[in-house]
Amino acid sequence: MSSSTSFEGYFNVIRNIIGAMHSLTGLQDVLDVVVTQSTRGLKAKGALLRILNKETNRFEVRAAAGLGQRYLNKGPVTTEKILSTLSEPGNVYIITDIWNAPRIEYPQQTWDEGIRMILDMPLAIDEHVTGLMRIYLTEQRELSDDELDFLKTIAMQCACVIERVHLIESQRAHFTTLATHMEKLSSLGRMAAGIAHEINNPLGGILLFSSNMVKKVPEGDPLEKGLKIIIRETQRCKAIIQGLLEFARHGKPQKAPANINDIVETALGIVENQFYLRHVTVKKELAQDMVKTLLDKNQIEQVVINLLLNALHAVEDHGRVTVSSSADLLHNKITVEIGDNGCGIPAENVKKIFEPFYTTGASGTGLGLSVSYGIIKNHEGDIDVFSEVAKGTRFTIQFPVLAENPTERMAHNENA
Amino acid sequence: MKMLNILVIDDEDVICEACELVLSEKGHTVTLRKNGRAGLDAIREGMYDILLLDMKLPDIDGMDILKAIQKENPKLCTIVMTGYSSISNAVEAMRKGANNYLAKPFTDDELLKAIEESYASH
Repeated sequence: MSSSTSFEGYFNVIRNIIGAMHSLTGLQDVLDVVVTQSTRGLKAKGALLRILNKETNRFEVRAAAGLGQRYLNKGPVTTEKILSTLSEPGNVYIITDIWNAPRIEYPQQTWDEGIRMILDMPLAIDEHVTGLMRIYLTEQRELSDDELDFLKTIAMQCACVIERVHLIESQRAHFTTLATHMEKLSSLGRMAAGIAHEINNPLGGILLFSSNMVKKVPEGDPLEKGLKIIIRETQRCKAIIQGLLEFARHGKPQKAPANINDIVETALGIVENQFYLRHVTVKKELAQDMVKTLLDKNQIEQVVINLLLNALHAVEDHGRVTVSSSADLLHNKITVEIGDNGCGIPAENVKKIFEPFYTTGASGTGLGLSVSYGIIKNHEGDIDVFSEVAKGTRFTIQFPVLAENPTERMAHNENA
Repeated sequence: MKMLNILVIDDEDVICEACELVLSEKGHTVTLRKNGRAGLDAIREGMYDILLLDMKLPDIDGMDILKAIQKENPKLCTIVMTGYSSISNAVEAMRKGANNYLAKPFTDDELLKAIEESYASH
């Protein structure tokens, strides 16, 4: 076979694989094409593709071509086994000693399948191995530079497509969680409005009687303490229900074009004193090129104040809180970030923080973040949290850049 | 403060009893009615300085009672009480003729203060 023909052969295989990557939506379809085409390109017996399942931390077989069922029935390979002998992603590992190579787990079955040479290629993105492709050959032979290049190209492309699909899948999961969460919040709101009246009446009785009674006991009387606690706790219930009602009332935001930097400045002005008293410094980095978008100033101010106070509560005295904003005109988004170098949130709690009534502070009602969440969702925005215990927490809120009418929007972009 | 004749309209026994206790201890005369119908009858028959009106009654909506008072006895000083408190509720009640507003639950001091202020400015 002349070199130009083999080059054409590889080229066709790569063209097929890349074509599949761009046209097919499912990862499985792409992987199937990759294994069959790689087998064809190298005139191999078959190929096997394993992908790292991040939950089980195992490399699981996701696609195979040309191998017998008996061989495929062998269980998944442990991560340690695969990674321990892989030093450098981007290389092709050639195994010719089927009987003694540590990477071959079932030499007998491998030999029986007629396999005499194996090529291992880690599929990696940024040194991070996400999969492994193994190609089985029935005879031992030297691999040409073209063949090695061909394999490396496939491994690289394959790793890219796996990464991309993972990204899409995690985004999809993220949005499903958000949607369910919104659903929960709105039913909670409806319920809250319904029960508030029923609960406030009995609370009214408790508060009137207890506040009346506490005046009748002499100072220092053992009953005084108990009555004061009843009063305080009843007022706490009132605050919780008030919070729920406010939460339920958040209807459609009254949006008008506003610069989020101005809203952040106002919010900072309101909480400034509390920061000053705790000797907590605020580092402010607001984007010079910020554009206006449709926002309900009061609601967003409430969100920013809430996040600032959360940050203040998370840090020790003399802690540091950072507030920054940025405008991404390419993606038509604006972002505000509020970070602190405080205690952080343990990973198992991060999921819960937007749930109503989840609170770490004894004083909080646990509604602040779920109210914020609702407000941001009503603005078609997004809120995200990144946190590390003992290092700090960063909240990111993002809004689309919207204008009242399309012509205004164009003017915005031109000015920017 | 002058001893007042106070009418309380609320279907909640505990609120009625508590208001009666707090107000009568201050020397006020308290009359209790447990529904809108009986409340309106009392307003027509008696002479009251202050009306404490719950907005959610089993038979007649609080807003309708306010409307009836506006028509029949506009000088009656009315304080509305509600368990579903919001600024828009309060504004609406004031527009319909209420003089003051109490969000349940409230303390005895809040109740007395509301009565004192409303009566003084009335």
